[in-house]
Amino acid sequence: MDLDVHLPAILERDTHAFGQWMAGAEGPIRESLRSFARVVDVEAVLQEALLRVWQVAPHFVPDGAPNGLLRLGVRIARNLAVSEVRRTRAKPASDDELAALGGEEPAVEPEPPDPMLRRVLAKCFEFLPDQPKRVLSFRLLRAGEADGVIAESIGMRLNTFLQNFGRARRMLGECLRKNGVTVEEGLVA
Amino acid sequence: MSEPRDDEDALVEEVAGAYRPRPREELRYHPAWHDLGPEGRVRAFERARALRKIEAALDPDGLSTTARAVLARIQGR
Repeated sequence: MDLDVHLPAILERDTHAFGQWMAGAEGPIRESLRSFARVVDVEAVLQEALLRVWQVAPHFVPDGAPNGLLRLGVRIARNLAVSEVRRTRAKPASDDELAALGGEEPAVEPEPPDPMLRRVLAKCFEFLPDQPKRVLSFRLLRAGEADGVIAESIGMRLNTFLQNFGRARRMLGECLRKNGVTVEEGLVA
Repeated sequence: MSEPRDDEDALVEEVAGAYRPRPREELRYHPAWHDLGPEGRVRAFERARALRKIEAALDPDGLSTTARAVLARIQGR
């Protein structure tokens, strides 16, 4: 799977194409930041890195190997994570410490969509109780908005909102497991 | 190892979401991230990773809330 198929449209500044590129690239880039999870906010670094990929894409020169833009994205994300470690540490981090933290740049492979997950999940979602389903739907619909703002807009306290979201998450995980889908521990823990 | 407390779980739930304050001159973290210890931050990472796959599978275009949040910034929303 070569995500560079989206490159010509991305160069034309097609945001839909960039969305499709992100659908395959987000997972590997996030995974490449795993070793930084204790010391930087990976979600913040990841979103900024994806935005920078969009900004620099018009100047990107493919090297002929597959997934060139994804490899660039991994490099941008990991460099940004290293900069964040330098910026946020009270005591400056040495080059050796940073090298140990980041490890070697990982090989990256895009994640193809999983049709079985999609099919089973649609059924599991329908079986959710009303409040957890409502909260999950709002968090999806208003992606990137603060939970407190979404909660207030639907007349819910933040803690109640988060508890309902947690219920939805765990119930979906259990439903997927019962239907034979392998579930990551992070979904149900 | 002790069981995570409820309030820590709420923090992990928040940090595992895609909301992040828009960067100004510097990158801005989720405020709750600073209240988590190293183990809580790793839990938030694992939860976010698992959640994004679910979100993408529920989305008609296959996009997670992270991708939607980035598109919103690109489109100036």
